[in-house]
Amino acid sequence: MSAIPSSKPQSSSSPGQTMRILVWDVPTRVFHWLLALSFAGAYITAESESWALTHATLGYTFAGLILFRLVWGVVGTRHARFSDFAFGPRSVMRYLRSLLSSKPEHHVGHNPAGSWAIYAILLGGLAIGLSGYALYNDIGGEAFEEVHEFFGNAVLLVVIVHILGVVVSSLLHRENLPRSMVDGYKQGESAQAIRGPRWIVGAALAAAVFGFWLNVNGVRDTLVGAPVEQLADAQSTGQAGDHDEDDD
Amino acid sequence: MTRIRVLAGLLAAMLAGTAMAAPPATLLPPLESQARQDDPAFAGFSAERGGRFFADKHGGKWSCASCHTPDPRNDGRHAATGRPIAALAPSANPQRLTDPAKVDKWFRRNCRDVVARECSAAEKGDVITYLLSLQ
Repeated sequence: MSAIPSSKPQSSSSPGQTMRILVWDVPTRVFHWLLALSFAGAYITAESESWALTHATLGYTFAGLILFRLVWGVVGTRHARFSDFAFGPRSVMRYLRSLLSSKPEHHVGHNPAGSWAIYAILLGGLAIGLSGYALYNDIGGEAFEEVHEFFGNAVLLVVIVHILGVVVSSLLHRENLPRSMVDGYKQGESAQAIRGPRWIVGAALAAAVFGFWLNVNGVRDTLVGAPVEQLADAQSTGQAGDHDEDDD
Repeated sequence: MTRIRVLAGLLAAMLAGTAMAAPPATLLPPLESQARQDDPAFAGFSAERGGRFFADKHGGKWSCASCHTPDPRNDGRHAATGRPIAALAPSANPQRLTDPAKVDKWFRRNCRDVVARECSAAEKGDVITYLLSLQ
């Protein structure tokens, strides 16, 4: 990926002149795609006990990523900060109306509609994470099941709207927004570029997530006090020696 | 930590109190009429058949006993996550089989894991009869 912001401008670059500039730092991009992955994975493993450990692992990942994003929204680079996309309802309406006009409003950072999708996903995601944690650790009983499912489906709905919005916005602005969330670059004035990609924070975030995934059996066994394979074997002693399969 | 546990326990007790408690046996009649509809030759539920169903892996990875232990009067453990599971037999755990919605939900989820399909009314009735037979 391109690490050097192409925004080191010639002194002649004047306001209003757009070029390819770095907008999304690495942590924001890593966060985005890992969040999408963990949400999708947790959603499709939700209805099965065989996949319960995967579901919980992805759920913890999802919640951890959201906590990271809340911090990064305060200390991150310019366009990753909440202050950069704190849009009110009127901005959202104006933006949506402009999409119908011949001159759709263009935003270098998050557009107002997209920003609301982000807030909805972050808040809904927190509700999913907290209720899921309560369920997994048997705190508060079955009431949280409904909460967990409701917010899971609500966030899925927002995600679908978000994806449709990205498609529409990409077409109207003739700008490949999914790609910008991969390489970090968008069209904008040089003054709007971020100064650096924050590689180290991004790599640390990715390493933390992958490390957690690799260690999940260890994490699980610590939580329950013994290797789960042993527990399962100890239980099936009543039956023929048929625990030949290994899980994962 | 203990205070959280106590609070959680209180909350759980309150929630449990609001659920409609029905005697386990009321689960059976609707299953019975469904089973008769599915198979006119149906001749009643069998605890013995339920016990065999419970212990069998049905060609898959898990049996019911993989999580609930071969004796459902014991507390179990989730075979994938290791989380504790309270005993399934009402004689050991009076909360069990008192909430039809919950019974329905867990048959739906767990049958998918054990037999890779929904359980028939006859199978559910057999298993419930088996669980009720354990004293």
